[in-house]
Amino acid sequence: MDVIKVKDVWKKYKIYHDKGSTLKERILFKNRNRYEERWALKGIDLDIKKGETVGLIGENGSGKSTLLKLLTKIIYPNKGEIEIKGKVSSLLELGAGFHPDMTGRENIYMNASIFGLTKEEIDKKLDDIISFSGLEDFIDNPVRTYSSGMYMRLAFSVAINVDADILLIDEVLAVGDTSFQKKCIEKMVELKNKGVTIVFVSHDNNMVKRLCDKAIWLKNGNIASQGIVKDVINNYLDHLNTKSNIKCTEDSKNEINSTNNQVISEREVSIEKEEVKDIKPANKNKRWGNKYVEILQVDMFDKDNKSKHIFISGETVRISIKYKVNKKVDDVVFGIGIFRDDEVCCYGTNTFIDNYKIDKLTGRIDVEIDNLNLITGKYYLDVAVHDKFGLPYDYIKKILSFNVETRTEEIGVVRLAHKWHIL
Amino acid sequence: MIENIKEIYRYREMLKNLVKKDLRTRYKGSFLGFLWTFVNPLLQLIVYTIIFSTVMRINIDKFYMFLFVGLLPWIFFSTSVQVSAGTIIANKDLVKKIYFPREILPLSVVTSGLVNLLFGFIIIFISLIISKIGITVSLVYLPIVIIVEYIITLAFSFLVSALNVYFRDLEHILGIVMMAWFYFTPIIFPIRMIPKEYLKYFFLNPMTPIIVSYKDILYYGRSPDFLMLGISMLIGLLIIIFSYNVFKILQKNFAEEI
Repeated sequence: MDVIKVKDVWKKYKIYHDKGSTLKERILFKNRNRYEERWALKGIDLDIKKGETVGLIGENGSGKSTLLKLLTKIIYPNKGEIEIKGKVSSLLELGAGFHPDMTGRENIYMNASIFGLTKEEIDKKLDDIISFSGLEDFIDNPVRTYSSGMYMRLAFSVAINVDADILLIDEVLAVGDTSFQKKCIEKMVELKNKGVTIVFVSHDNNMVKRLCDKAIWLKNGNIASQGIVKDVINNYLDHLNTKSNIKCTEDSKNEINSTNNQVISEREVSIEKEEVKDIKPANKNKRWGNKYVEILQVDMFDKDNKSKHIFISGETVRISIKYKVNKKVDDVVFGIGIFRDDEVCCYGTNTFIDNYKIDKLTGRIDVEIDNLNLITGKYYLDVAVHDKFGLPYDYIKKILSFNVETRTEEIGVVRLAHKWHIL
Repeated sequence: MIENIKEIYRYREMLKNLVKKDLRTRYKGSFLGFLWTFVNPLLQLIVYTIIFSTVMRINIDKFYMFLFVGLLPWIFFSTSVQVSAGTIIANKDLVKKIYFPREILPLSVVTSGLVNLLFGFIIIFISLIISKIGITVSLVYLPIVIIVEYIITLAFSFLVSALNVYFRDLEHILGIVMMAWFYFTPIIFPIRMIPKEYLKYFFLNPMTPIIVSYKDILYYGRSPDFLMLGISMLIGLLIIIFSYNVFKILQKNFAEEI
């Protein structure tokens, strides 16, 4: 049974240059009310069945929040129809309607009533809400004395404990500390198992993968793809990658041009050029930092000092970083990060974490990994140099890609050393 | 329409909480706080009484009571409408972020005004007894008049609260409109002072039958004109249907306009 039906929905926003919102202005300065139209949604068709958990993904400005607001009936479409069956609760922005001078308990009553609950219903839910928020000790204090985390926790507890048939959530799960986040996700799973239909916007693809039965990717107000979560997310990531590749190639072109200009005035023209070239093919992706210390070249070697980009799991690997110092700096931390091609961070460390103090900047630093026990897959290497507070001098994402092959058919990210004991 | 009423009923707890919050901030939780809200009407009463019984000299016995029984209901109407005008903007955080039937907002303003009026009637009753005008059995008709006034007030409140989102200066324009409206309603003067040829125009004003009825019941101690009250009720219902529908249409863009 479809509980949410969206039929050819279009929504535009008017962007006023100089908006007159009084009667006087509207009469006297008629031509002041010029505006541009921007279509946020262009013909969305959508059916969501009862009990489905749907993840909305897409870039900023792609219309995700607009769609959620339409489903909540905070705004209405310019064209098309939206049909919703059942009680809707939305967590678009938390804590709307909280009153700082009222106590937590009073605010629960106030807030829950805004969600359309009656006194009796709230009475029944009160204990659940308070215990979910974990604010038992503070519940009779005025909300103005709460920390922002506590505030959000209370707000989330109210919103999620409203018995809704349909729950709409907009990127609000990044609430509170890790343990509270975990609780929220557990609660969502519980609601999902109860048959609540959940639609949520998230930039956390892993969470979408974990929770959703279906994903919808919105792109410029259209549905670019929808259906099986993994496929949709992969399509989306592909799109992001090609997009950032195009952008970064342009960036690095500009960068190289500018470096070249600088270099001409210097003496080591030829060497510089060569080194810049070295960095060029790897520099397809993102790079940032103030370049006080600049990474020139990065490569990976096996134990025979041969440059390699395909490794067998368990091999010894040496990562070599060449750099130059453009400006005197007090402290330097070098770091590496290894990411799988689905953006999972497999390992990351730096000289600060490992307690290496770098006194001399010699232009080269190596890190040796005795046992690269990653599982088969494609990996990317990030290299960074920054100060001890994390302010980057030079940070290059995906400077290299390498493959790891495993001889066996293990699964996961790394191979954990293990033994079987048959007793 | 029935669906809408059902939904408003479902959100009754919200309405109750908003009214409670409003009354609590108004009365500050004490009897003195409650009396404080009557400082303004009492001052108005004193001023009008001085002017119209000593300077302009309207020959009415116990003029202050004649005025008082009309003034309080008028203040209920005028403040409700004026506060309603700003209520959507004042609650923009809610309107932009949560769905709830938007009509709850003006409804809560008018309802808390009504509660205030009901308390005010206690003071009116006490004054009637002290001033030896006394109260009569015709008091049983009072609830009917209150209901009719509530409907008419609600109708105008819906209208201005929605329109003010689009025309923000409406709130200020209303101040002048309300002053004019006050003088064109027989509050200070009795209806018999209005020249015959203008009388019909006064009855175009939906507040005229209301105030006249209050005076009949409370000051003169007689039954109100039921035909007049019935027509007034009918007109009230017509304008509330009209203004509610306007509200329903205009509320679709609230979140974008504010």
